[in-house]
Amino acid sequence: MIADFIRILRAADIQVSPAEAIDAAAVIEEMGLGERRLLKHALGHTLAKTQFEKQAFDECFDVYFRPPEMDMGEGAAASDNPDAEAPEQDTSSQDSAGDATDADASDASDGDEGSDGSDAQESQTGDQPGDPTGEAKKNSKKSGDPANDKNGEGEAEAEVSSLIDMLTQKDTAALQAAISEASQKVGLADAKLFTQQGMFSRRIMESMGLSLLDAHIRQLEDNGETGKAEGLREGRGQLFEAVFDFVERQIAMRTKNAGRLLREDALSRIRLSNLDRSDMKIMRGLIQRLAKRLASRHSRQRKKSRRGMLDIRRTMRRNVAYDGNLFELSWRRTKVERPKLLVLCDVSGSVAAVSQFFLMFLYSLDEVMPKTRSFVFSNRAGEISDMMREGDMDQVMEKALREFGGGSTDYGMSMMDFAEATLDTIDHRTTVMILGDARSNYGDPGHLVLKEMHERARRVIWLNPEGESSWGTGDSEMKRLGAYCTHKQVCNSVKHVERVLDDLLRLST
Amino acid sequence: MSEMKNQAQDAIEAILAGYEKLGYISDEQIATALFLAQKLEKPLLVEGPPGVGKTELAKATAEYLGLDMIRLQCYEGLDESKALYEWQYGKQLLYTQVLKEKLGDLMEGTSSLDESMARLNNFEDVFFSEQFLQTRPLLQALQNENGAVLLIDEIDKSDDEFEAFLLEILSDYQISIPELGTVKAKKAPLVFLTSNNTREIGDALKRRCLHLYIPFPDASRENAILQARVPELDQQLRDNIVNFVQAVRQMDLKKPPAVSETIDWARTVVLLNISVLDAEFIRNTLNVLLKFRSDIENVEGEIARLMRETQITPDTPIQ
Repeated sequence: MIADFIRILRAADIQVSPAEAIDAAAVIEEMGLGERRLLKHALGHTLAKTQFEKQAFDECFDVYFRPPEMDMGEGAAASDNPDAEAPEQDTSSQDSAGDATDADASDASDGDEGSDGSDAQESQTGDQPGDPTGEAKKNSKKSGDPANDKNGEGEAEAEVSSLIDMLTQKDTAALQAAISEASQKVGLADAKLFTQQGMFSRRIMESMGLSLLDAHIRQLEDNGETGKAEGLREGRGQLFEAVFDFVERQIAMRTKNAGRLLREDALSRIRLSNLDRSDMKIMRGLIQRLAKRLASRHSRQRKKSRRGMLDIRRTMRRNVAYDGNLFELSWRRTKVERPKLLVLCDVSGSVAAVSQFFLMFLYSLDEVMPKTRSFVFSNRAGEISDMMREGDMDQVMEKALREFGGGSTDYGMSMMDFAEATLDTIDHRTTVMILGDARSNYGDPGHLVLKEMHERARRVIWLNPEGESSWGTGDSEMKRLGAYCTHKQVCNSVKHVERVLDDLLRLST
Repeated sequence: MSEMKNQAQDAIEAILAGYEKLGYISDEQIATALFLAQKLEKPLLVEGPPGVGKTELAKATAEYLGLDMIRLQCYEGLDESKALYEWQYGKQLLYTQVLKEKLGDLMEGTSSLDESMARLNNFEDVFFSEQFLQTRPLLQALQNENGAVLLIDEIDKSDDEFEAFLLEILSDYQISIPELGTVKAKKAPLVFLTSNNTREIGDALKRRCLHLYIPFPDASRENAILQARVPELDQQLRDNIVNFVQAVRQMDLKKPPAVSETIDWARTVVLLNISVLDAEFIRNTLNVLLKFRSDIENVEGEIARLMRETQITPDTPIQ
C-alpha cells in the first residue's frame, strides 16, 4: 500500500527515493495507521521536502487516505444510514439532467469532502450535492447490467456470500477494503488513461463477484423474496457507484501530471517562434528551473577552485622567525575570477516572436551570474540591469518591451550605444553576448564596433534564433558580424539555451 | 496496532506539553516531527522564514530533553577543520621539539641506525592522537556520552562541499578521521538543521532528513507565544498586537515581521508602559517590527487602515 501511495506521489511530481520510501514504512510502523492526522504530518515530514511538495503531498494524502466511510459516502452514503437516506433517494431519482453534469458535480464534492474531514459525513445535508448524480449514474449502470449476467460463473461461492453479507449489513469499511483489494487484482495501478475508467470499474466489480451476486438476486426474486432482492439490488447499485468513483479518483491521481510532463518535454524542444501564448507560462517555469540548475552547478565549480595549495616558499619565509619550524602555514589560493558578462538583446519587431523568450533568458542569466549587465535594443540600446533586479520576471519583461521594444532594428546605432556604455569596461575577462537575428534592415550592421569589442573582450558570443541556413540571406548580416564572434550559435529552444549557458559557465571558471 | 498508535499519540502530546512548559509554543506538526526524529534517529531539517523560531526549537528541545546543545553556525567557507576537528599544530610542534631533546636519552645504547629506528618504531604514535586533537562541534556532539542536541544553523549558508561532508555524519552518525580511524557516536545526537532557503539544499541531504516547515504562526498561536514570552502584557493589548502584526503580514513587504519581532514589539510596549496601542505609538515603534526603510514607509501610510481593520480604536481606553 505504501508503494502504491508513493507511486502516486511520484506521479504528482514529488521526488521520493527508495530510501525515503523505507523511511515512510518505518514511520507508519511507528505511528500506526489509526490516527490519520498525525500520520499525515509524519509522512509529510518524511516524504515531502519542499513547500511545493508539501502542498502536493497534502492533496495526495487527502485523496488517497480518505477514510473508508467517506468513499462510500460519495455515491452510496445510504449504506451508512440506510433508513434516513432511502426515502430521499426515491424522491431524487427523477433527476436525469444530473447525468450530464455528472463528472463536474462529483469532482466538486470530491474536493469538498477531502478537505473538511468528517463533518460532511455527519450531517445529512452534506451528502446532498453528491446524491442526485450518484443516483443518476446508478440508474444508467443498472440499465446495462443484464448483458453481463452470465460471465464468470466460476467465482468462489464464499466470496459472493461475503459480498452479499457486506451489502446487506451495509459494512462500508469491509466493502471499501474489498474494492481496493479487487482493484489490485485487476491491476488498476497500471491504468494510464481516463478512457479506461469504465473498463476497470467493470473488472473490479466482476472480480468482487458481480455475476454471482446478480444470480443471487434473481434467485431471490424467483423465490418471491422481493424485499430482500430489492435491498440487494439497491446495494449493488451503490457498490457500482462507489467502485466507479474509486476508479475515477485513482486514475485521476495517477495521471494528473503525466500530461504536463509530456508537454514540458515537448516544449523544451519546440522552436520558440512557434510557441503558443498559453505555453509561455509553462515555459517560464522551465527556464527558471534551468537557471536554478545551472546556478547550483556553477557555484559548485566556483567553490572547488577556491581551496588553495600549500605555498612552501611563503611558509618558509614566514617561519624564519620560529627557527625554521613551520608554525604558520600559508596557502596559495587560486583566485577565482567570475566572468563579467555583457548581454545585448534584440527586442525589435523582427524578432518579436522570440524576444519574450530572450528576455526570460536574460532574466535567468542575471540570476545565475550576478555580474551581468543587460542591454536591450531595437533602434537604440538601453540598459535594463537595474530593472531586472527590482521586479519579477513579468514586470521586467513588460517594462523592457514597452520602453525599448517593437521598433525597427538599427544595429549600427544600437551597437554604438552599447559600446559607449560598456566599451571602457570590456577587458580580457569580459564575455559579450548578443542575442539577435542580425537583420539590420540593410543599414549599418555595426560590425566595426563589434570588431573593437571583439579585440578587447575575452569572448563574443552570438546567439541567433534563425537557423544557420538563413544566415546571410536578405538583410541578415550574420556573415559579416559573425566574423567578429568567437562563438556563433543557433539558439531557438530551451534545449539550446541550456547548452549555451552550460558551456558559458564552464568556460568561465 | 492501536496500542502503538496510542503510544505515538501520547508521546506527541507529551512533547507538546513539555515545550509549552518551557515557553515554546509549538503545534502538532512540530511535535510529530520531533517525535519521529527521535524514533527514527534522523536529522530534522527545519525551514521557514527568518524569525519563526527555528533555532529556538532546537534550544527548547535541548532543554526539554535535558541534553547539551551544541551549535554549529554555518557560513560560507566553513570547512571540516572548523566544524569537525583540527590538529593542534603548535602543540604537535612543541612535542617534536621535546622529543628532539629527549632523543639522545632514548637512543642510548643503540649502535646502528637500523637499531635506533627499530626502537623508535616501538614507541606508540602519539603525534596523531587524541591528545592533539582539537574537537569541534560535530565531533563534540558525537563524543557526548548522553547524546546531544546538535544544531547546524543556517545550513544554506555553507558550501556544497560542506553539505556533502555532512552526509556521512548525518546518515551513520560517524566520521572518519584518517589518522585515527572512524569515530562512531556513543549515542546518536538529535540533529537540527535550519535553513532560510537562501539556497536550495542538495537532494542528497534532504533525502536523509525529515523535513519540517514552520510558517508564520496564526493568530491564536502567536497569541499563546506572546503569553508565554511576555507574560506581563495584558490580554487586550496582546490581542491588539497580534491582530496588528497579522494584518501587517498580509501586506506586500520586503521582510514581513516574524514572531521574534512581535515579541520584541510586545516587550517594547511593556517597557514603555504603554496602555493604549495608538497610532502615535505604532508610528514611533514601527522600526521594532520592520527592518527595511521602504517597509516602514509602506506601513506608516496604512496605520489608520490597519488599526481600523484590527479594531484598535484609539479612543477606547484599555483597562
